[in-house]
Amino acid sequence: SQSQSNQSRNAILVSHRQKGNPLLKHIRNVRWAFADVVCDYMLGQNSCALYLSLRYHLLHPDYLYYRIRELQKNFKLRVVLCHVDVDDVVKPLLEVTKTAMLHDCTLLCAWSLEECGRYLETIKVYENKPADLIQGQMDTDYLSRLTHSLTTVRHVNKTDVVTLGSTFGSLSHIMDASMEDLARCPGIGERKVKRLHDTFHEPFKRVV
Amino acid sequence: MVLEFHQHIVAELLEEPNGGLVILSSGLSLPRLIASLLLLHSPSQGTLLLLSSSASLKSHLLHHLPHPPSEITADLPSSQRHSLYSSGLVFFITSRILIVDLLNNKIPTSNLAGIVILNTHSLSDSSTETFICRIVKSLNKNAYIRAFSDKPNSMVSGFSKTERIMKSLFVRKLHLWPRFQVNISEELERDPPLVVDIRVPMTKCMVGIQKAILEVMDACLKEMRKTNKVDVEDLTVENGLFKSFDDIIRRQLDPIWHTLGKKTKQLVSDLKTLRKLLDYLVRYDAVSYLKYLDTLRVSESFRSVWIFAESSYKIFDYAKKRAYRLVRSDGLKLEGPSKKITGKKRKTKGNGDRGTSSESTISGVLLEEVLEEAPKWKVLREVLEEIQAERQKQASSGEELLLETQESDNSIVLVACKDERSCMQLQDCILNGSQKVMREEWEKYLFSKVELRAVQTSHKNKKSKEPKGYGILHGVAPVTPAQTAEASSVCKQENDALLAAASEMRNRGTSDDPEAHVSSKGHGKGRRKGRSKKILPNVHSGNNESNNKAATRDKPEISGSENEGQIDEIHSGAADGYSEGTVEGAQVDKGVLPEHTVKTDAAQFKDSKQLPPLHFYALESDQPILDILKPSVVVVYHPDMSFVREIEVYKAENPSIKLKVYFIFYEESTEVQKFEASIRRENGAFESLIRQKSMMMIPVDQDGHCLGLNLSTEAQATTSQNAVTRKAGGRKEVEKEMQVIVDMREFMSSLPNVLHLKGMRIIPVVLEVGDYILSPLVCVERKSIQDLFSSFTSGRLYHQVEMMVRYYRMPVLLIEFSQDKSFSFLSASDIGDDVTPNSIISKLSLLALHFPRLRIIWSRSLHATAEIFASLKANQDEPDEAKAIRVGVPSEEGIVEDDVRAENYNTSAVEFLRRLPGITDSNYRSIMDGCKTLGELVLLPVEKLAALMGGQKAAQTLRDFLDAKYPTLQ
Repeated sequence: SQSQSNQSRNAILVSHRQKGNPLLKHIRNVRWAFADVVCDYMLGQNSCALYLSLRYHLLHPDYLYYRIRELQKNFKLRVVLCHVDVDDVVKPLLEVTKTAMLHDCTLLCAWSLEECGRYLETIKVYENKPADLIQGQMDTDYLSRLTHSLTTVRHVNKTDVVTLGSTFGSLSHIMDASMEDLARCPGIGERKVKRLHDTFHEPFKRVV
Repeated sequence: MVLEFHQHIVAELLEEPNGGLVILSSGLSLPRLIASLLLLHSPSQGTLLLLSSSASLKSHLLHHLPHPPSEITADLPSSQRHSLYSSGLVFFITSRILIVDLLNNKIPTSNLAGIVILNTHSLSDSSTETFICRIVKSLNKNAYIRAFSDKPNSMVSGFSKTERIMKSLFVRKLHLWPRFQVNISEELERDPPLVVDIRVPMTKCMVGIQKAILEVMDACLKEMRKTNKVDVEDLTVENGLFKSFDDIIRRQLDPIWHTLGKKTKQLVSDLKTLRKLLDYLVRYDAVSYLKYLDTLRVSESFRSVWIFAESSYKIFDYAKKRAYRLVRSDGLKLEGPSKKITGKKRKTKGNGDRGTSSESTISGVLLEEVLEEAPKWKVLREVLEEIQAERQKQASSGEELLLETQESDNSIVLVACKDERSCMQLQDCILNGSQKVMREEWEKYLFSKVELRAVQTSHKNKKSKEPKGYGILHGVAPVTPAQTAEASSVCKQENDALLAAASEMRNRGTSDDPEAHVSSKGHGKGRRKGRSKKILPNVHSGNNESNNKAATRDKPEISGSENEGQIDEIHSGAADGYSEGTVEGAQVDKGVLPEHTVKTDAAQFKDSKQLPPLHFYALESDQPILDILKPSVVVVYHPDMSFVREIEVYKAENPSIKLKVYFIFYEESTEVQKFEASIRRENGAFESLIRQKSMMMIPVDQDGHCLGLNLSTEAQATTSQNAVTRKAGGRKEVEKEMQVIVDMREFMSSLPNVLHLKGMRIIPVVLEVGDYILSPLVCVERKSIQDLFSSFTSGRLYHQVEMMVRYYRMPVLLIEFSQDKSFSFLSASDIGDDVTPNSIISKLSLLALHFPRLRIIWSRSLHATAEIFASLKANQDEPDEAKAIRVGVPSEEGIVEDDVRAENYNTSAVEFLRRLPGITDSNYRSIMDGCKTLGELVLLPVEKLAALMGGQKAAQTLRDFLDAKYPTLQ
């Protein structure tokens, strides 16, 4: 059963309700299996998805609400995967958007079954992926990295980074510097000194 | 001298106190018209604001007005802006600043005389300009709104565009002033300039290319028709000649773009390419044209449909014949090394050829240069010589001194061509001789061949699709690639020799050589975009057939003295206070350059003919060149309707100048066709506007009686009415105005306008976090599709969402599609088989995974967004302006207000920590648990770090980074 649970952890668990949904044909990059789950697709421990075709929504406008209510609060990420399969989208989409928003669901729209399938696959595959991909490219050379981290302190600019670096010689020395030493650097005014020092020496967690 | 019809227009406009919309034929000097209107403005009427003027229009206006209006910019402090607004003067202003000041009640609207909108054709009924007009009209119904356009073609695009714009600008009167209007045509034709119409036959190869391109174009259009996706009526080759053709097609296809197959999409872009090819045929020299074709082949060959059409082979073939041909080295020597200078070099080439000949089946192939010159070049030279000869004749026939001095004022000859590239090249031709120009182009071509070759091979390595592509060429094509491949390999081998030859040539002392290289490189590409042709009824009605004798021209030369005259001319032009504009700059540079060339050349060729002083002007640069130079002779090298009209206007304004205009057309070319079609198109546009005008339904209360401030309450009345019908009980809604806080930067978009139309109060502020604040809980970041992609790539979106999540309970990403584009990211066929990191699907999924609290709104259009906003606000409190501004802005102590984490965490320390190498989303919490401060962390040895970070490697990375020696400053 160990291996079975392992397997189910790596697969998308599909509710029996989804039987016959042509969308399943398009989940190819990840394994999937039917299981007794409340949501339509269980994509990980904390994430799940409900599938909704707009055409279906037009016939059963209350369906989505009841499905979301069923989910209760068990998941961090609750996706409403909306298949846009009607031409006149504005009104139904407004309703779906509102329902999803007011009930803590993330709405994702897809225009084809392939696209729906791809969203499910991707969320599963990227379950534990860091966000580098969407954080923008950062240069990996020393100076850029140093600048990247030091400029989190408000009002510290690139010039200051160079000043600090050349004065103290290394990041650990910068972080270890006293307020006096920091204040001696040209361009680092009183406020910056305080901010820097607070950043380095105030505790991460404030004592409440 | 003010033109009569301009006076008419102004008078008519002034009759209507509420303003109006003027549509004028292009080239009829809209700037001058505006200028004469502005001159009538007196401060007692109130302040006049000029909206959305283009840079070129501004520079024209500055030229025409003694006291040009200044500009209100965002840099001015608001108190100063306020005093400017009440000063009664005329100002340029951008719509973004104006709308924000209006919404903030920073403008004393009672002091506003009116608004002048200068680019009405680029508006839509939800543009910010319409927003401005609505508010202005509601606050001051006496303010007038005067809108202008000199692009009638774009005023008729789309369904009753003019009428909709007029309604949204609260303008009732439409004034149409086509070129064929009686007053205008009478005035312009009273004393028309002397026109010489020269038709130059194209060379056989050019005719061949043009025919082939048109054939391919026709084939593409036929394919297009087969798709049944577009209205067949518009799909004519004639329409295909114009840039606006793309608009026609796109307007029809955009809503269904995602459903189109690859082939149809390709056809659309192919038609564009073909149009360019036609255009370049008459503008580029033979070698540049070939070069462009080669680039196209390399960049497009895998995708294009047209390249594989049968006739397109002819395009390539003819284009090559214009530049060079291949002869067998063992065959007859043919014409032999005909040209003197080239002789030596070709010998080296010959050797190179023999070296590679093993590649081809034919033994020993020689490259022989043809380097066909553009026929217009020669004609231009002849025209210039003729002008000079005439002048000399006049001078020698002993005219009065007075007349002569007068003449010298405007003795410069203006040569107008389409783009700067042509300007440079023509100038080069005139100064250095066309052969030299061709030779330089040829050398550049050979160099570029080597680069292209490199690209091609790398392509081949990646995808071996090439054979498949060529298969479609019905067995004709393989000849072509073989030839090119050979030619390029030839070039590769002789590259060194060529380089040596080139540098030798440079060293030989013609120091202008490298300059020429630089300049044409700088202007060659990138400039080729613009072609928004305007139109005009036939001007050249009184054409003199030019009796251009086919005088065989020797080496083209210019006498030194003549040339100096030119330089003086240019400098004086610059001294007149007209020094901006790239042309001018380039001209001055060039002006110095020729001095040098001329001397050497003059020494070589004694029998040179004299040329008049010249000025080359690029139509694209759009400067009031005629008014600046006051030429008496204009050579229109590339015909352009609006320039022709500018000449007419210039002549009408300066009746004392004896103006002579030469048109140089290629006979039976698409150039002529296009020129004539552009007239027809503009006339057609005006006819349609006249029809529309007769049927227009402009409400009588357009003057703003009914709108006023109650506009918003009206809108609200309707919403509550709707609410009554929706909610069975007819539950009364609280009568309160909805408010939305909007970031200043958002006023570039039309959404604030649409929200306002829906009855919401718009509060513009500078927001640190989010674009729209709907309630104390709801913060929205709006992204158009294009923005979405780019801000994913830059990482901006991640950061923005991070901030929103931090400060608001309900952070929202609004993805806004454009009404007239398709509502989807990609078609099913574009999705591909695998999960790929670059796909938008992957990025959105990742965003959702990292920010599970983020809500996403997918909106079909602006109006859908407004609906959604309204419905989201229904049960929420109104947002607090003061609070929204403070969000995300740290207070003096560095503590960020309202930060849900700020009370518990030292946020900047956490942020700093998370940006250190080796720290990941999964281990930073345990680090914070394990040590109290960053200062403490720094002191930990690697082993301790490894325990905290859950890995030796990560710990080492961090330790190394902390201890890394900062690179010393050198």
